[in-house]
Amino acid sequence: MATAFETTAERYQRRIYSFARYLLSDAEEAEDVTQEVLLRLWRHQRGLDEERLGTWLLRVTRNACYDLLRRRRSAVALATRESLDADEAREVPSAEPDPESRAQTSDFRRSLVRALSGLGEPDKSIVLLREVHGVSHREIGEALGMPEVTVRVHLHRARRKLREQLREVYER
Amino acid sequence: MSRFDDTLRCEEVLDLLEPYLDGDLPPDEAAQAAAHLERCPACAGELDLATAVQRELRALPQHDCPPEVLQKIHSAGAGEVVPFRSRLAGWPVRLSLAAAVLALTVGGAAFFLQQRQDGPSPAEIAQATEEARFALAYIGKVSRKASLGLRDDVLRRRLVAPATRSLAQTLEDIPGNEVPVRDTAGQP
Repeated sequence: MATAFETTAERYQRRIYSFARYLLSDAEEAEDVTQEVLLRLWRHQRGLDEERLGTWLLRVTRNACYDLLRRRRSAVALATRESLDADEAREVPSAEPDPESRAQTSDFRRSLVRALSGLGEPDKSIVLLREVHGVSHREIGEALGMPEVTVRVHLHRARRKLREQLREVYER
Repeated sequence: MSRFDDTLRCEEVLDLLEPYLDGDLPPDEAAQAAAHLERCPACAGELDLATAVQRELRALPQHDCPPEVLQKIHSAGAGEVVPFRSRLAGWPVRLSLAAAVLALTVGGAAFFLQQRQDGPSPAEIAQATEEARFALAYIGKVSRKASLGLRDDVLRRRLVAPATRSLAQTLEDIPGNEVPVRDTAGQP
């Protein structure tokens, strides 16, 4: 029979890993961060409020990712990240039926992933959590320690930045 | 057309597209934006782009966590949880080990070869040199993984070149030996 920890870990591991992978653009480091976060969950499981568990995990994940990013800030890491961003975009399956549309969509997504990775914080985390991972505005606000209305303002502003950066690709 | 049609200018509408899409505008402002978008093809085009951005963001995949991640945390028995050692925490240790391996390889090889009465053979010298290069290259790799920020050129100039020169000098001091040592680290 699964323990409470196992149930919780299985429930949240995908969100933790996926969020970390987008923030870090590196699968192996995302695994490390996921392990680190789940270990913290195991250590603190008795003292955690179940209702706030999801947002606590997001906050811990984001902090772990940014600690790691601070540690690996170098020209080499940035260059690697860019190539990984391109890999990330190539992995995305296209839903468009004809080859021409498929190529355009793929181009658009590649540019979108690149633009997304270039967003500052907290915009990037908010876009990833809301649009990619479907987390509610309220939960994002709790995780990032800001009012829901501020989350919405950041989200709109970030998507607007993405729109402005993607205009040229979209018009092609 | 209503009076509202003219109350919003294009730049104002462009600022409101994302909240308009999310349904976050107050009803009267949403109505003004809708009226403007109906008669302005340029702004309607921007709304299409804003829609495409949101649609594509939502279509990005959520990555599945590899099963090994949880397996490392769970022990084999009865759901008991065991702590794991993070790879991140292990890198400084590995770097220290790699440095120790280098010291032992370079120092050990030089000492061993000097002690030999008959002198080392060219094959032994070549192997010792190769092992030293391997150790140096491994240090470079470990330092990159540990994100210590050691650049390859700095590592090569400050560590690899002096160490290989020192090894070469030691070996050359043995009568009859001339060892060609490259000034760069080989790949392991």
